[in-house]
Amino acid sequence: MSDVAIAAPAARRFRLPPTLVMFALGWVGLMLATAFLADVLAPYSYTALDLRNRLAPPIGFGGVLIHPLGTDELGRDVFSRLIYSIRMSLLIAFGATLIGAALGTSLGFLAAHFRGLVEQCVMALVDFSASIPFLILALSVLAFFGNSLTLFICLLGLHAWERYARIARGLAISAGSQGYAAAVRQLGASPWRNYGRHVLPNIASTLIVSMTLAFPEIILLESGLSFLGLGVQPPETSLGSMVGYGREYLTRAPWILLSPAAVIVLTTFSVSVLGDWLRDRLDPTLR
Amino acid sequence: MLRFFGFRLLRAAITIVMVVTFAFVVLRLSGDPALLIMSVDAPPEAVAAFRTAWGLDEPLWVQYFKYFSAIFEGDLGRSMRDGRPALTLVLERVPATLALTIPALLIKLCIGIPAGITAALHRNSLLDRLVMALAVAGFTIPSFVLGLLLVLLFAVQLGWLPSGGQESWRHAILPVITLGVGGAAVLARFTRSAMLEVLGQPYIRTASAKGVPWRAVVWGHALPNAAIPTVTIVGFMVGSLIAGAVVVESVFSWPGVGRLLVVAVANRDLAVVQCILLLVAATMVTSNLVVDLLYGALDPRLRSGLASAPKGAAA
Repeated sequence: MSDVAIAAPAARRFRLPPTLVMFALGWVGLMLATAFLADVLAPYSYTALDLRNRLAPPIGFGGVLIHPLGTDELGRDVFSRLIYSIRMSLLIAFGATLIGAALGTSLGFLAAHFRGLVEQCVMALVDFSASIPFLILALSVLAFFGNSLTLFICLLGLHAWERYARIARGLAISAGSQGYAAAVRQLGASPWRNYGRHVLPNIASTLIVSMTLAFPEIILLESGLSFLGLGVQPPETSLGSMVGYGREYLTRAPWILLSPAAVIVLTTFSVSVLGDWLRDRLDPTLR
Repeated sequence: MLRFFGFRLLRAAITIVMVVTFAFVVLRLSGDPALLIMSVDAPPEAVAAFRTAWGLDEPLWVQYFKYFSAIFEGDLGRSMRDGRPALTLVLERVPATLALTIPALLIKLCIGIPAGITAALHRNSLLDRLVMALAVAGFTIPSFVLGLLLVLLFAVQLGWLPSGGQESWRHAILPVITLGVGGAAVLARFTRSAMLEVLGQPYIRTASAKGVPWRAVVWGHALPNAAIPTVTIVGFMVGSLIAGAVVVESVFSWPGVGRLLVVAVANRDLAVVQCILLLVAATMVTSNLVVDLLYGALDPRLRSGLASAPKGAAA
């Protein structure tokens, strides 16, 4: 460890990422693979009941071999449910992050391009969404519009939009005063081409870093809402709703909630570590 | 200076109006409250009577203006469940929530800020890495997981503390810790990066080069400058005192505003949800306004009309 620190300045550009980052990469890779291969990996369906083995503890705690992480009150296999939950939570988090980034960046560009009234409107919307904690906003919208997966993803997509909007607006305005954007504009490129092909790639690293920072927050939000019973609805399952369900059996069968809780923590931790690392590498201005 | 404040006040007012409008539109258009409160097979006359009683049969814009003017008279509607004024219902719960969030805020401030400053002053040392690792861990553990783990350890296994309810101060210990840890982690990260940014500035080097003792450089030059971004996040924390404990209150069955919100949402009790939304937004906007005023006190540059210039120039 200390050797690396001493050697660091000379070999900086080519050194391997730190151990923690390697671990984070590995974990995120594992989670992605799990999400993609859920149907192959899961030994049972996430709704399959095994009434003979209800509340069976995991292997090593007196459990049966066919349910490695134990079962819940209805005899559903915790391991299989965990795999499908990972898929659901990642799907929601990816969808929501992309929606937020696309929406925020577009609005930011609009503000930067038109200035004036449009900009004031966008900034008023930014103020508006900064004035209510997102969880409160999401809670009211969800409960009153009922709940569907599409709506849930779109709603979470609203989570960090104002951050992207601020960044995109600021960077696009400063790009507008730089040579390249002005040159492209004077060559007759349409605003679409200018922002899409020239400005966007130039500010992409900052946006990607913001996305990695927003991703774990969305996982936390999704699991929090599902924990409260207002997010993903049964029979569908997500990491948060598994924890919420397992809470009822906290004293009798803590394994129901411990494994999804561990997955949530490790995943948000890994993505945060990756985000911090990327930020340090790609974008020193965000520090 | 006056223009600066006037502009801020106007923006705050616009934000409040937008929140009111949003609450009204979303909550009114999303479903027919009469059918939700009464059962589906209620007789049509009863439903009609309910609509007339709550003014639901009038055109939307009339309802909106009535709602708006009522708010300025301090009337935020009545709970559709038990008919009591929504504002009373919500204000009753505020002390319970504050009993959790204020001690938690103190924990956040007392741990987060010193930890962040220490980490920044000893950058890349073992201490810095430890603080940052703890901060990332504290930030990435969801509050409900932390809360349930604490219950599992201190209530179920050790039996030292109660697992939920609000009978004595001992019931508050676990929820306060749960709330405090996450916030302290966020604050530590913020403070550290604010300090690092300031410590890299030329004026710090100048002050050191002049022979000012390091302690005086830190206290006199670095800390006041690093306070500006930190005040923003603290302002946000103060703003969310009223409703910052929704999940934690649910975990520990604490009868505060957050629980009221979850229950009201589940019951589709429009008036109560709107009332909480407005209260939260008003607190947040006020707190942001205070932060803006504090900026003026902390940063003389903002007072001299260069309001937006220094930030852009620095970046």
